[in-house]
Amino acid sequence: MSGAPLIVTIGERTFTVTRESDQAFQVDDAGITVEPAGSSAWRIRNGDESVLAHVVLDGDAVWIHLDGRTFIAGIVSDASVRVRRGSADEHALAAPMPAAVRAVLVEAGQHVEAGDLLIMLEAMKMELPVRAPRAGTVRAIHCRPGDLVQPGPALAELS
Amino acid sequence: MFSRVLIANRGEIAVRVIRACRERGIESVAVYSDADAQAMHVRQADRAVRIGPAPARESYLSIGAIIDAARASGADAIHPGYGFLSEQPALADACAGAGLVFIGPPSEALERMGSKVAARQLVSSHGVPVVPGETPVDQSDGAIRAAASRVGYPVLVKASAGGGGIGMREVRTEDGLAAAVQGARRDAESAFGDGTLYIERLVDRPRHVEIQVLGDVQGNIVHLFERECSLQRRHQKLIEESPSVAVSPALRARMGAAAVAAARAAGYRNAGTVEFLLEGAGDGATFYFLEMNARLQVEHPVTECVTGVDLVHAQLDVAAGEPLRWRQDELTQRGHAIECRVYAEDPSRQFLPQAGPLLLYREPRGPGIRVDAGVEEGDAITVHYDPLVAKLITRGERRLDAVARARMALRHFPILGIRTNTGYLAAVLEHAGFRDGAIDTGWLEREGTELLAAVNADAPAEAAAAAVAAAGQRQHAPGPATAPAFDPWDTLGPWRTGA
Repeated sequence: MSGAPLIVTIGERTFTVTRESDQAFQVDDAGITVEPAGSSAWRIRNGDESVLAHVVLDGDAVWIHLDGRTFIAGIVSDASVRVRRGSADEHALAAPMPAAVRAVLVEAGQHVEAGDLLIMLEAMKMELPVRAPRAGTVRAIHCRPGDLVQPGPALAELS
Repeated sequence: MFSRVLIANRGEIAVRVIRACRERGIESVAVYSDADAQAMHVRQADRAVRIGPAPARESYLSIGAIIDAARASGADAIHPGYGFLSEQPALADACAGAGLVFIGPPSEALERMGSKVAARQLVSSHGVPVVPGETPVDQSDGAIRAAASRVGYPVLVKASAGGGGIGMREVRTEDGLAAAVQGARRDAESAFGDGTLYIERLVDRPRHVEIQVLGDVQGNIVHLFERECSLQRRHQKLIEESPSVAVSPALRARMGAAAVAAARAAGYRNAGTVEFLLEGAGDGATFYFLEMNARLQVEHPVTECVTGVDLVHAQLDVAAGEPLRWRQDELTQRGHAIECRVYAEDPSRQFLPQAGPLLLYREPRGPGIRVDAGVEEGDAITVHYDPLVAKLITRGERRLDAVARARMALRHFPILGIRTNTGYLAAVLEHAGFRDGAIDTGWLEREGTELLAAVNADAPAEAAAAAVAAAGQRQHAPGPATAPAFDPWDTLGPWRTGA
């Protein structure tokens, strides 16, 4: 029951959370109490405001539902906020959502221009094109037609 | 009555039909693709038959696989739900060929209503109004000007051969016609190789108002009043309600009679919906036939809530040859109901569909609240099918009572693990224009930016941050953990931020 302040990131904002006691937390300048209210549920009181929250963990993210609003939070364990982000390439070359690979239009070794269509994904009846974020040579392709792919990993590499 | 019904669908509508079958003492047979082997409709049915791999065209759209499943399971009827094969005359024909009852309209009625153009001609010849328009035989500028005057301004000038709005131009007064005709003709020629133009009356800021109909084999057809479905984005309905604020008793009677006439013209029976464009409101409003949806609709629960009629039970009755239980004058519309479609989509990213696990899913409860869903906590929304998670239907004595109840229910409908549009739905319900009922089919697009800004305005993120910390601490408390244990103070390395 102790430790350094917890740094919680929600969207663009970063909060420093300090635990004062079992149910009392200091979030930046605000004193907030949090009481258990059932399975994965919490009653949160901030001054005169009282809301019900539901919280679940999802890998390295935390989902919060709070009075009709949904948040996805990240946590860092110390005060120096270190945010690991993929390179711009990785973001551009990854699936935006779980999807099926419909077609791979380029081969390793091929030169591509910025904006060239590399891979066509399909999800929920929508075509999702994966385009080259910049000109370069395709170093590797990490998927094949028919694969189900998840967001995150790059589906191709550019050199 | 049937002894065993196969439901040729998935998701919430399959669950809905399975429930109705159970209430009537009818055994239910679910069908499923490989992606749905563990799905709720499979868990709820009395039996379940695999019909193929995940892609719909190899499973839920395979007439052969559906008929084989019905034969193998000894079903005596097939309920098609909505979407998939529900409006395919070929399924109705295949049922007849296999000695099965198709719980829907006759194959011929599906054919008649299957082509929008043919359906409009048919109902128009039976006195149902359609949007005025004509393709002048003489395509000279003068003849087109005369046609536009007959149709009445404002008009749309569009390619007769085309679709999808290519070459379409709005003309408010005769002054603008010449330029529009030149441009539309050029576009039509380059897009379709045919410069023939169609002149159609432009219906300004129309509402989409539809009428539920039911017909039996004895030839009785009744209507069950209107549904207001103007809130659409990219032709996808989002919120539906009954009654419509724009429909007066006299207008309702006229639209109902027109819908019954359209159904009669098609030789319709079972449940169907006649869609109209409505221009104006009240006794003086004008309405035009749009098309007929020859199936149960997604939004059928709002009609059930205001009429007390169970439409799936009624479908089973008339498919089994029983007459309708009510005459038109025995049906009433009471109170107000509203349906919000909860989609797995991210409003902040152009409503991109979302797939993923429902790590937490808790439906709201209480008087006047109905949730039709095909998922439970622990299930997943997959990439293979449409992103509808649930339909939230609320009822109230007056419109704003139903709206307030929907707003409150959305606040108590936590869905975690995927992004949904619940916050966006709430923003719509709180919008002054919506509350005044001043909506039309273009309203959602026009108000889009304002609605998105409202979704997470003034979000109490501090409280959310405290909840994160408390939830982490709780994992160390005695008793069953409800999620993978973690203690953010002890165990974590650097975490990636969520967006």
